[in-house]
Amino acid sequence: MQMSTDTDVNWQSEQTDETIDWRDRLHEGFVLRVYEPALIAWNDRRTQTGLVIVVLYLCMALVDLFGLWRDASTSQAPRMLGAFQNWSYPLGTTQSGVDVLALIIDSTPFILQMVLAGGVWATGVAVIVGTISGYKGGLTDSVITAISDFFMSIPGLPLVIVLGITLEPESPLVLGVILTINYWAGLGRSIRSQVLSIRNESYVEASRAMGTNTVRIIRKDILPNLMPYVLVNFVFAARYTIFAAVALYFLGVLPYTGQNWGITLNYAYNQGALFGLEAIHWLLAPIIAIVGLACGLILLSQGMDRIFNPRVRTRLTGESESVESTPEHTTEIR
Amino acid sequence: MNYYLRRTIRIPATILGVATLTFGLIRLLPGGPFTQLRIQLRRRGMDAQEINARIEALQNIRPEKSLPEQYLDYLIGVVQLDLGQSISLNKPVIEVIGQALPWTVFIVVVSTLLMFVLGVLLGSLQAYWEGTTFDSVGSGLSILFMSIPYYIYAVAFLVVLAFSWGVFPTSAAADRSIEAGFTVAYAVSVLHHAALPIISFTIGGVGSTALSMRGNSIQVLGREFVEVARLRGLSDQRIATRYVAMNAILPMYTGLLLLVGFRLGGTVVLEEIFTYPGLGFYLIEGVNANDYPLMMGCFMVITIALVLAVYFADMTYGLIDPRISVGDADEY
Amino acid sequence: MSSDTLTSQGSDERQPDPILEITDTNVTYTDGESYVLEDASVSIHRDEILGIVGESGSGKSMFASAILDAVPDPGVLSGQLIYNRRDGTTVDILGLSDEQLRAFRWEEIAMVFQGAMHSFNPTMKIKTHFTETLQSHDRSVGEGMSFARELLESLYLEPERVLNAYPHELSGGMQQRALIALSMVLNPEVLIMDEPTAALDLLMQRSILSLLNDLQEEYDLTIVFITHDLPLVAGIADRMAIIYAFEFVEIGPRDAIIANAAHPYTRALLQATPNINSPLEAMQSIEGQGPAPANVPSGCRFHPRCPVATDECESVEPTLDAHDANNHRVACHHVERAREELTISTDEEGAFSATERTTQTTTDAESLLELSDLQVHFEASQGVIEQFIGEPDVVKAVDGVSLSIEAQDLVCLLGESGCGKTTLGKAMIGLQEPTGGSITFRGESLDEHDDARAALQIIHQDPSSALNPNRRIVDILSEPLLHTHPNASITERRRRITSLLERIGMTPADAYIERYPHQLSGGEKQRVVLSRALLMDPDAVLADEAISAVDVSLRIEIMDLLLELQEEFETSYLFISHDLSNARYITEHAGGRIAVMYLGEIVEIGSAQRLLTDPRHPYTEVLRWATPDLGLDTDADDEPPVREIDVPDPIDPPTGCRFHTRCPVARETCVETSPELRDCEDGDGAVACFREEPDHQYWESDPLDGASEHPE
Repeated sequence: MQMSTDTDVNWQSEQTDETIDWRDRLHEGFVLRVYEPALIAWNDRRTQTGLVIVVLYLCMALVDLFGLWRDASTSQAPRMLGAFQNWSYPLGTTQSGVDVLALIIDSTPFILQMVLAGGVWATGVAVIVGTISGYKGGLTDSVITAISDFFMSIPGLPLVIVLGITLEPESPLVLGVILTINYWAGLGRSIRSQVLSIRNESYVEASRAMGTNTVRIIRKDILPNLMPYVLVNFVFAARYTIFAAVALYFLGVLPYTGQNWGITLNYAYNQGALFGLEAIHWLLAPIIAIVGLACGLILLSQGMDRIFNPRVRTRLTGESESVESTPEHTTEIR
Repeated sequence: MNYYLRRTIRIPATILGVATLTFGLIRLLPGGPFTQLRIQLRRRGMDAQEINARIEALQNIRPEKSLPEQYLDYLIGVVQLDLGQSISLNKPVIEVIGQALPWTVFIVVVSTLLMFVLGVLLGSLQAYWEGTTFDSVGSGLSILFMSIPYYIYAVAFLVVLAFSWGVFPTSAAADRSIEAGFTVAYAVSVLHHAALPIISFTIGGVGSTALSMRGNSIQVLGREFVEVARLRGLSDQRIATRYVAMNAILPMYTGLLLLVGFRLGGTVVLEEIFTYPGLGFYLIEGVNANDYPLMMGCFMVITIALVLAVYFADMTYGLIDPRISVGDADEY
Repeated sequence: MSSDTLTSQGSDERQPDPILEITDTNVTYTDGESYVLEDASVSIHRDEILGIVGESGSGKSMFASAILDAVPDPGVLSGQLIYNRRDGTTVDILGLSDEQLRAFRWEEIAMVFQGAMHSFNPTMKIKTHFTETLQSHDRSVGEGMSFARELLESLYLEPERVLNAYPHELSGGMQQRALIALSMVLNPEVLIMDEPTAALDLLMQRSILSLLNDLQEEYDLTIVFITHDLPLVAGIADRMAIIYAFEFVEIGPRDAIIANAAHPYTRALLQATPNINSPLEAMQSIEGQGPAPANVPSGCRFHPRCPVATDECESVEPTLDAHDANNHRVACHHVERAREELTISTDEEGAFSATERTTQTTTDAESLLELSDLQVHFEASQGVIEQFIGEPDVVKAVDGVSLSIEAQDLVCLLGESGCGKTTLGKAMIGLQEPTGGSITFRGESLDEHDDARAALQIIHQDPSSALNPNRRIVDILSEPLLHTHPNASITERRRRITSLLERIGMTPADAYIERYPHQLSGGEKQRVVLSRALLMDPDAVLADEAISAVDVSLRIEIMDLLLELQEEFETSYLFISHDLSNARYITEHAGGRIAVMYLGEIVEIGSAQRLLTDPRHPYTEVLRWATPDLGLDTDADDEPPVREIDVPDPIDPPTGCRFHTRCPVARETCVETSPELRDCEDGDGAVACFREEPDHQYWESDPLDGASEHPE
């Protein structure tokens, strides 16, 4: 296009002629992407609690990585010590004299890596597949839909068991991926239907009219509107990963590598049958670790859609608000 | 092509896909089950021919044949409901599955219905009393319920109610001393055995159902047609059921589909904990005993059950929600 | 039901028989601090049609809810609402118990809302809505349903088809009429209608209004009609009330309001309305916008926008007093000055003064866009049963359209919804793949021309969905600049954006660019949309019903802006509208043409002036009828000049001339053969009707059922 028409319009602003340098941009980017979302998250009591819990687990992982607590090993302590009886072993010890707290802390990095891998894989694939299929349509859509329908028809855990036996995964990252091997299918399908409706919004059409390329349209017009849903589902995928992993370790179908809460649970459960209530602290410790992490993640997700809601953003940063209101966005939970 | 036909054709296609996957897992993956079995048998001093004969008997596969032929043989076997011979139980796999399948279906269907009904009730009440203490306590409990995996309830119930107090049985689907049949004693025994698995499986799902129901109901309550219905003088009861509940439940229907898949998969853990003789239990049995024909057979039948459940739900969706002509369920 | 013996004599009302007496009624929020309806004192007369006019957010809907004691939480309603039955007993509405109120609503006073789609339960058939209403009020379902069928039939609907349908299976116009029937099924005395036609086409609006008029006479109804569209309600109202910032500012007989409006706001409203009988330069928009409940101005609430305001207006709140005879009441300190200084011209002489810009002297230069025999066909989505059998249905949204657009031209596509206007427009700017025919852009095929994509832009109908809610105004407006000036620095881009925002009246621009779309008003959003399209420096812009979503008082302003920017940016417009008066306003200013579309075809094309003064196609005449005007002699009692109210199903369009099923002058010939678009012999433009040919066999064939035997 030529610049010819520019002469017709007076481009000279009466405002100041201030220039915008990289420092201003950096600052603006920080405010938009970090400061304001953090402010919103911190303003929701549930998200706040969730954040604190998740950070606690991260600290536990750091404690393990920097060796701030003893590693778990047999006969490191008196056997079958109850919880809160000896402050050197606050959570008590096992029947073979292992510090239960050390067991829990030892497994944290493994579990967190696995959860992260599972969540990223499940939501990542779902977003890619759902967006392409929904935005492109046509043959691409049909093929992708057929494939994801196939994966949706296979029940998760049994498939994971079969794969677990054949592949014997040991790395937490690989394990995370295997556990959510077909989780993306259902999520991808619902993302696809959301993309279908966003694609029909006028502003996407306006972007197309401007000749904006597909990647930019997806990045700027479509993904930001999906983000609340994607984030909430990331948390659900993470929750599913940890539940499934613990279940399979508990059943003993995954190869035992090192320590983790599922294995602890398995030992405690089997010994618990022999020791009765005496071993209850041993059984409860991994359960509380699992439930705590899941609970933290869910609480975190509860306020997640608000972070991306411009209405909440402007309300909290104290800007003016137009009178009209929209119904609260509710998220489907499964 | 029209939707119903397409959807129906997809069933055998999916089953074929699953069968292929099963076949592939058995045959092709390095370190796969049959390699292990072969090593085991060889260690016992069997010669190659004998091993082949044994494997053929187990899985309808003749190792000396070419891969496509083996594949074809396997598929023919599947069509004829011949899933091979269980090594550990020494019975045809199909027979084991025939006995196990009803129990699994029973547990999944009853617990899913219960979960749905309870969740919907809890969620509607919360929405009705939105903002009250009941609502906040309900939401808190829902989140807590969601944070605890169902097998934790199972373990807790088993340890306390079954092992410690002996109020409930610790294994099996019915008392062996009572003859199976349509008798009261048998039915009571079945319920007694199924109670704990069903309860643990139900509690695990109530929380999320209640949360979605609450959200949906609050949204519907703000809709104009509810206000118009009030102005038209309809009774509160009719508005609550025909207007609010109906429109709040419908969007949850597709979610329920996915849920059935997760729950069918979940039976593996549940049945193992309760030693409940369903498909999941035998799947794990097969895993633990290196009984691959049994394991793969169970895997395949669980999958087929899910395929059929999803098919049924897809086909009925259009009947339940008049706005959706079948096939556009996820389109606009 | 309790009936108080309270009988209040309407003190200053001359009419002896008020059915509803509303006295000092308030609706407050946040502990009585902000009023959304203040001191409403109105009497509604039995068997009258009272039109209530106000901008959006002026409290007019709150008034409707208040009459039924149905103010949404947490609003608080206070005051006195007395309802007088025909038999002389009275009801104090606010004193009713819950159960009495439940019975009172719908039996005595029923209500019709704006979006019929949202008023029906989407999961229930229409029929169930009727039967459950009857059952709840202990009426006989049999008798009730036969009355319902009678009502539906008098609303030009097929009762069985409608009753057995789900709400989403009906068109907007059908839903709205079904809702009117539902509101009348208990035979109430009063019908309160809150913007009942706002979402519909003009033709459908007018048709419904004329049907309402019939119903009102037949069933002795009292109708309270609430709208933002003054000319629309002026056609049927007996009395009118104007509401501004939560208060009534003027009430009086319709003729007094139209001919002798006293309040400056009413006069401004009359002036701001695009009107086919007024000269163009007489139309002016009202500056500014109505206040929010939290910051209502002191004194007279209109004073910040009022051209005749004085110090007195700022401090002293005027009361609603009688000013002339006929119970014409006004709340203004300066009625005489307002009448003198704020003139309204409805004088028809000047209506077609010279157009502002001369029509583009057609040149030998190639045209900008050239459509020839363009077709856009869709496969229709189908129901459950149809999917089992047979071929997919095809909707011929655009079927053989040829049209050419010059540089800096303006063509307005006029027609009802479902006639293919938008599809044609989108095909023309390359957003919709045509299935047949050709489009050339500057002499080259549209998809092969390199600059075509950037040169053809769009302005959507609904500004809220046309702006990405997650991006700030600065990001939204940077997007076109990234295309047109990829090398411009950020500073440069911002400077351009701020200066354009200033140019379109959004100041201070520095504050606006940081905002998100939800922080802007409807009019402001539409300006941003407009700026985004123009920043692309386009050759042609499709304005798809670009002003229907904004309030009537703002429409002129947006159209003026469009026209000014057309000059500055040297672009062509393709303007889509269902409203002849808007189409006329913009077309005449720009010296363009109006193309009338019906079911995928252009049936008439010509200058605005010719179409208004000398419409040739019967459909154009129908659209002309549907356009409300403010003449005092206007009589809305006339039947709609169409034989069918609803547009036929585009899947199976009528044979021959597609308009023959509704045309008031159709004859046998029209069923079989289809007329071609022919140039008018004695006038500009072209028309597709046999009646243009004096010796066509049309004149020999028999009129169709219901068509006029002797036209004109």
